[in-house]
Amino acid sequence: MGALDGLKIADFSWVGAGPRATKDLADNGATVIKIESRKRLDLGRMSPPFAGDPKDVDGSAFFAQTNTSKRSVTVNLSDPRGIEIAKKLVAWADVVVENFGPGFMERIGLHYQALRKIKPDIILASVSVAGRTGPLSGFRGYGNSAAAHSGHAWLTGEPGSPPHMPPLAYGDVVAPMFLTVAILAALEHRARTGEGQHVDVSQIEPMVHVIADLYAQDEAKKTGNDDIDFLIHGVFPTQGDDHWIAIAVENETQAEALKRELGISSLDRDAISAATSAHDKFALFDRLAAAGVPAGPVLDGKNVLENPELAAAGHFVKLDHPVLGPSNMPAPPYVLHGTPGKVNRAPRLGEHNREVFIDMLGLEAEEIETLIAEGCLA
Amino acid sequence: MSMLAGLRVLEIADGLTDFGGRMLAELGADVAVVLPVTKANRARTLAWHHGKTVIAPDDAEAIRALAAKADVVLDGQREGDRFGLDKAVSDKTIYIRVAPFSANGPYAGRPATDLTLFALSGLMHVTGEPDGPPLKFPGQQAYALTGIQAATVALLGLYARRRTGKGQKADLSAFQCATLSNYREAIMYEWTGRIGRRRGNMLVRGKSGVRQIWECKDGFVTWSMIDNPSMMRAVVSVMEEKGAAGELSHIDWNNTLVADTPQETIERWQGIVAAFFANHTREELGAWSLEKGWGLSVICSPQDVCDSEHLKARGLFVEVTDEETGKTVSVPGPLFRSAQMDTPRRTLAKPVPASSFTGW
Repeated sequence: MGALDGLKIADFSWVGAGPRATKDLADNGATVIKIESRKRLDLGRMSPPFAGDPKDVDGSAFFAQTNTSKRSVTVNLSDPRGIEIAKKLVAWADVVVENFGPGFMERIGLHYQALRKIKPDIILASVSVAGRTGPLSGFRGYGNSAAAHSGHAWLTGEPGSPPHMPPLAYGDVVAPMFLTVAILAALEHRARTGEGQHVDVSQIEPMVHVIADLYAQDEAKKTGNDDIDFLIHGVFPTQGDDHWIAIAVENETQAEALKRELGISSLDRDAISAATSAHDKFALFDRLAAAGVPAGPVLDGKNVLENPELAAAGHFVKLDHPVLGPSNMPAPPYVLHGTPGKVNRAPRLGEHNREVFIDMLGLEAEEIETLIAEGCLA
Repeated sequence: MSMLAGLRVLEIADGLTDFGGRMLAELGADVAVVLPVTKANRARTLAWHHGKTVIAPDDAEAIRALAAKADVVLDGQREGDRFGLDKAVSDKTIYIRVAPFSANGPYAGRPATDLTLFALSGLMHVTGEPDGPPLKFPGQQAYALTGIQAATVALLGLYARRRTGKGQKADLSAFQCATLSNYREAIMYEWTGRIGRRRGNMLVRGKSGVRQIWECKDGFVTWSMIDNPSMMRAVVSVMEEKGAAGELSHIDWNNTLVADTPQETIERWQGIVAAFFANHTREELGAWSLEKGWGLSVICSPQDVCDSEHLKARGLFVEVTDEETGKTVSVPGPLFRSAQMDTPRRTLAKPVPASSFTGW
């Protein structure tokens, strides 16, 4: 039994910012119908890495890990008949999720007020770079745009260095986490009041929130790897090419333990580096942890995939996929012991068309076959 | 009415839950927090704990009594349960134990901080300059990511409780929270055998790399020459108007794959773009981007962010007063836009001894 068993989501979102939120919901038991189209492919299906042919719309590992546990239908939203089918999914759903460009939902007649007419207590959850209101609401950007607009890029790096962009679309990570919270809070509100609502998540604002502690300072400054609350806070070289360990010392007890373990007399950075250089990063992690010193080897992608702690925690779930074969998919980072949920493989494009349109919505099989053949449900 | 009005949350904070408790408070929950034994700087405390009732843990029995009355307990103690919460919670309570690592895995019980968790996430390895050490993100991202997941678990538990009538226990691993955010590195290794390295501000896709950061007349902007023909045409058309497009005018962007273009050609093209950007201000470039859909963003300093007309229009920053010092600070307030949110308390409260707290 999942925490969200019985919850129904009509998911119009694509790429990263919306789908990561609906993955959270689907992995916890919600029925998430992902509304896609061959006419306007989810760019996630065209994003590497691929199992084989990059043109195979079911062969992207990026898509597979972002869309676990969902069902896929194909609906051409540029066809009025497709929009009518989409409205039936809205009538079925508790929550509609979208991350289209500015104005798209209005152009196809699926804006919040229209959705309310179909289902008065519907929750519409939108996520976009700058939000749906304000002078920048028309901005077209990417997950990394929010790193620029939030101060994140400016604040990354050593004092005096130029801005530094995160190595991935971090806004596409943080914003969907906010979207998940927004949806769940709106569901709680609906349970209390019977009212739906439109929640509007901007990618910029979550990226400001996660560095709120810097904004609370008299002057937000770049600090590189340093932190003023710690006696030692940095990375130090270890044995091997580009191998490092992070060490953070919070109090005198830990400081004494670090000096003892490294055989040094002071917390001088050069002395620490000279000492750590002689050690394997994993062995030193074991040793410092046993001595009560917070430390962490700097893991690369291989280290992460092969990490024994993550394996023991079930961080990756190996699922069989019809194109990818057995492959690792990320699971939620928590266990709800009473309602643990289950991660299932991502759907092939349009895999659930008949199940959803005929069995779930009760539409005529003949009509659906015709609409599929005519490119309306494609 | 706020979405979570009346919801009682007891939070034992030590970094891992701080932002999660703050999110629940922002959504209207009545959050009572016990602050960490090791005190953080005052700015950090205000950022993460404003809007909560701060409880001084003078009496462990009184803390357990609060746990028994709470709808949600966020237990973020990094060094074990000093209050015996496990036995205090009721069968209606959603009791979330947030720890650096999983409860029974090989790293269980190891000490950790934001930095060491971020190092383990795989993100630090790929952040920074190629010839420099791994670099962390600003602030405390492993903690922030864990906090958001803690709020998520609380809300999942609430949804389930409405259906089942029962609370439940949950375990949340901060290591997993930080690693989950790294959606690229492990999967790239699994499928390509390649191990990512630090590339500075270079965005490497396919055979070539493109710049992400550009100097303009009065600062920096971010933009990349990626395979998006309409965006490339939009940029080049303005460059043509200004007589600055050079050979970029003659490129058929529909039939050009930047990712497969030789690096020296890309460098030549980027040189033309760099000269154009260097001649224009952030305001000019930002306005063209908004109007023409370039995908370019101005790199904002913290002061730019605080002064942003857009963020002012959306009401992001709010004034919060520290009750102990009387100081008022501007920090982010609402998490998102919704018509269903009353303004929560905008104060960092003075601590109330647990033994004399009568709020619940």
